[in-house]
Amino acid sequence: MTSATAARRPFAAIPWRAPLVAAFALVIAYFVILVGVLADPSQHLTFVGAIPQAQAQFINAVTIGAIYALIALGYTMVYGIIELINFAHGEIFMCGSFVSWWLLTTLGFSGAISDPLLLIGVLILAFAVSMLVMGIVGVVIERLAYRRLRNAPRLAPLITAIGVSFILQNIVFVAISNSIVTTPQIIPNTVLTFGPVTVGLINLFTIVLAVGLMVALHLFISRTRLGRAMRSTAIDREAAQLMGVDINTTIALTFFIGSALAGAAGVVQGLYFGITVFNIGFQAGLKAFTAAVLGGIGNTTGAALGGFVIGFLEVISSVWGQGRWSEAVVFGMLVLVLVFRPTGILGQQLGDRA
Amino acid sequence: MKYARVGAALTVFAVVASACSGSTASPSAAASGGASGGGATIAVKIGTEFPMSGGEAPNGVPAANGVALAISKIQVPGFTVTVSQQDDAVNGVHNPQQGAKNLQTLANDSSVIGVVGPYNSNVAQAEIPVGNAAGLMQCSPANTAPGLTKTWGGVDPVSLRPTNPTKIAYVRTATTDDLQGSAGADIAFNITKARTAYVADDTQTYGKGLADVFATQFAALGGKVLKRDGIPGTTTDFTSYVTTVKGLAPQYVFYGGVTTSGIGLFRLQMAQQGIANIPLGGGDGISDGPAATKSTFLQIAGDAGDLNTYSTTAGPTTIPNAAQFAADYKAMFNTEPGAYSAAAYACTQVFLQALAKVGPGVTDLKALREDVRAYVATPANTYDTALGKFSFDANGDTTQKIISYFAFDPATKNWKFLSQRDFTAQPLQ
Amino acid sequence: MTIVLALAITAVALPLIVLLPPLNGFGTQRDFVGGFADAGVFVLLAIGLNVVVGFAGLLDLGYAAFFAIGAYTYAYGASPFSGLDIPFWPMLLVGALVAAMFGVLLGAPTLRLRGDYLAIVTLGFGEIVPVVFLNADTYTRGTNGITGLSQPSLYGIFGINGFGFTDPWPYFLTVLIVIAVAFSFLYRLQDSRVGRAWVAIREDELAAASMGINTITTKLLAFSIGASTSGLAGVFYASKLSIVSPDQFGFTVSFTVLAMVVLGGMGNIWGAAAGAFIVYEIQSQGLKQLGAFVQSLHVPTLALGPVSVNLGAIDFINFQYLLYGLALVLMMLLRPEGLFPSRRRRSELHATPDDAADSADVLVQA
Repeated sequence: MTSATAARRPFAAIPWRAPLVAAFALVIAYFVILVGVLADPSQHLTFVGAIPQAQAQFINAVTIGAIYALIALGYTMVYGIIELINFAHGEIFMCGSFVSWWLLTTLGFSGAISDPLLLIGVLILAFAVSMLVMGIVGVVIERLAYRRLRNAPRLAPLITAIGVSFILQNIVFVAISNSIVTTPQIIPNTVLTFGPVTVGLINLFTIVLAVGLMVALHLFISRTRLGRAMRSTAIDREAAQLMGVDINTTIALTFFIGSALAGAAGVVQGLYFGITVFNIGFQAGLKAFTAAVLGGIGNTTGAALGGFVIGFLEVISSVWGQGRWSEAVVFGMLVLVLVFRPTGILGQQLGDRA
Repeated sequence: MKYARVGAALTVFAVVASACSGSTASPSAAASGGASGGGATIAVKIGTEFPMSGGEAPNGVPAANGVALAISKIQVPGFTVTVSQQDDAVNGVHNPQQGAKNLQTLANDSSVIGVVGPYNSNVAQAEIPVGNAAGLMQCSPANTAPGLTKTWGGVDPVSLRPTNPTKIAYVRTATTDDLQGSAGADIAFNITKARTAYVADDTQTYGKGLADVFATQFAALGGKVLKRDGIPGTTTDFTSYVTTVKGLAPQYVFYGGVTTSGIGLFRLQMAQQGIANIPLGGGDGISDGPAATKSTFLQIAGDAGDLNTYSTTAGPTTIPNAAQFAADYKAMFNTEPGAYSAAAYACTQVFLQALAKVGPGVTDLKALREDVRAYVATPANTYDTALGKFSFDANGDTTQKIISYFAFDPATKNWKFLSQRDFTAQPLQ
Repeated sequence: MTIVLALAITAVALPLIVLLPPLNGFGTQRDFVGGFADAGVFVLLAIGLNVVVGFAGLLDLGYAAFFAIGAYTYAYGASPFSGLDIPFWPMLLVGALVAAMFGVLLGAPTLRLRGDYLAIVTLGFGEIVPVVFLNADTYTRGTNGITGLSQPSLYGIFGINGFGFTDPWPYFLTVLIVIAVAFSFLYRLQDSRVGRAWVAIREDELAAASMGINTITTKLLAFSIGASTSGLAGVFYASKLSIVSPDQFGFTVSFTVLAMVVLGGMGNIWGAAAGAFIVYEIQSQGLKQLGAFVQSLHVPTLALGPVSVNLGAIDFINFQYLLYGLALVLMMLLRPEGLFPSRRRRSELHATPDDAADSADVLVQA
């Protein structure tokens, strides 16, 4: 257990091998799914017959994985910069889905929008509003609840974060709805065909959006002045301050970006599944946290990868007919990774600060 | 059934609070006092044990209202009947520990002659041993888990009666989940003529029980269950299960569970993947109101998903005096009856009819409680109630084993009553 | 001895309190004693979690898992399902040991890592355990739970055989005795070498390690003692209720117990116990009585501009977790030592300027 803070590179650049690892992992995942579909005794499929289904399951996994990845980014960014497990982050995702529900129903939408220009306009509006609102909520939470505890014993901010998560969840429970709320699915339910590959428009939208946001985040962190401030604050807060970085602004910015990404995931949740409910944040948050841990907490690229891994784990459990164990599989993975490889799959040194 | 529709909860709660305080003392006291010719009446109580607060109040409050209504309408000569109301919700969720404690409270009050409740099966598991030890008869309008009264999953319910194994102190007017599972198989095989099915459940007591029985009965009728899945109740992403269903191409999908565990969402995702032409069936867990009502199965499943769906409810739909009951209920509480109001009313009628039979001449409350228990536990006795005529068998189950069948009606965007089947007169096999 | 005396006084005083108005209007003495016996389960849970959170400064978010393990251990030891009927008293120990064993299995690899990893591992473990009890139905009867668990018995001593289902007194006295034993054990531990080692680790793990304290085994001890107390509570809970089912041990139980400890006062055994007792009574009785009381006032609907508030229609129970959440945040910000603090913990949690000067982070505040 080194206590070398300097060895941590939370917002490290993507390692050169990451795309290779990702591509390799995707191929493996595809074959695990394919074998699961082939092995399904209820279907008796031939190899050729199984391919379309395996491909559909693959898309399912990537889509849900993209949502987890978006949430996981916020966990990992906050952890990277102030080493706080922000338990309230899953609830930010939930609140984001309610913001977009409120916006879309207030504007009078209930189903698919067929006019492409209007659709794009409404989508931009929904994402902008939800991301902005949740970003501000994140900053406010940091300002009110966490900032004062930055020097307190580690236990205090953790307990506060749990408290904040219950506050957010129960504000929605008491003030908005104690049951499932249907959200307008404004993206038409169209299936696109690219040669042998078919993919739903909403799936494609989700994946492209998530990847786009991730690339934008990566560029922001690695190429901009503010991104550099974030990286330096994460590595050594004191030194960063001495070099003229405004720590409070930088941390607030981190919360803003992380929460905005969770807000975006919330909008996707509503568009993709057509529902939201006050308690989706707990499970989704825990799964996204698992994703962040899998990727090596503090590492944004790892968190994104981890999100997809969780998506695949869930779909593979279902394909292999073990859906009732899917939660146990995901959380078992969380425990195992923390116990045996706490640095995650993109492992870097992440020692005990002691 | 466990999770009924959530709606108008707060208003109902406010109304019942004032209504209960009004009905507990004055009206029945005056009426029965008159009936017994001015002689002294014996004060007895009927306990109610439901979740009355928090998110589950919409389940418990209408049932408790049914009891209050019965007591205000029916007088037993020589007795003044009032209600002792208990609440088994802790933090807004039904709680077995609280339920057992409530039943002890009721048992320790010697004037309590019977208890109507509880609502949830796992609360009943904790209460049955208490009622058995105290010799206090319980009548549940809502518990449907088969294992409470009969051997189920290899376990004899006598384990719930350690103090007096042979003494029945728990009866119920609700039919058990196994009948709804059979009814589901009946719909699938005989109404939609399906021969292959995909069966899923939400891994909870109610949903799994229903789905297990469906799978067994559907196979026994000659159908084939292609795949059996358990999907955790917290799931929101059903896409991979639906993709599997698409590949299987079954003629029917049966989903054991309740709306809050995501069946509506499953159906919505079926519609999105273009397989809403496959009929979907469920139990009373999805029979929770029209598409216009918030958070119902039909609302969540959406316009395309609603088509070709079937559900059942435990108990009859065509009852001779149902209209009268609904009118009385509305007059007293200014709202429509809940899913188990009539059954709670019937449970109260059971106790009051037993009291009228065994009560006269008995002055010792302890003896009275035992007499009522013994009377209700005797299978030969029949009751004429808001649900119709029935008696309880040796296990404590109602002999009225009627299941109502419903299908979605696109014209009204609501469940439409198809038929009802009496499983005593016409068993499935 | 003072603990025994204090609890003896509690045993006499608590049931007498309920004779005072206005409490006597809410139920008979027996009803209250039954409620106190149920509250006792949470007092046990809270003083156990206090060892982990308060003494050693570790966060255990899957505490209900050990509660479940204790309860299921009793279900395997004394129910028709397993065919065994081991008496309650040895099962108390067995339940505690089995829970402690799981605590060690989980804690040993995790406690090497930093503190917040433990929080997450336990959170994951707390999610897995009920899922396993739910889905491994061949061994657990799944969602139906295991029924018909044996009741404790004194085998005729004091004329008591089975505790039965109707009289809460034996349970009340039993839980008090169990709490008394746990109290005296924990007090001794707190003042022992181990207790001081916990304080040292909590305040500065690096310094503690350099003073020769084996931080991993010391933390593991705290974690497993917490787990075993939870298991003990589980055995008692299961025997009183006579059933166990997977849905009784979710995250809300862990969260509620954490709120109890934080409210009562981390690090103070009496504080945690008092926090548990007060919170339990509020949630099982207080908020319901409050709702009924507000309704009885017939407050007219308030119209505040476009918003109209009908106080009589508010169901206070719905606000339970909102209040817990607020309580956690406000306590941490304003009074981290809890309502009934231990002196040492208070001084630790209120960082003085001197303490802050030690930390490089003071620059951030500047």
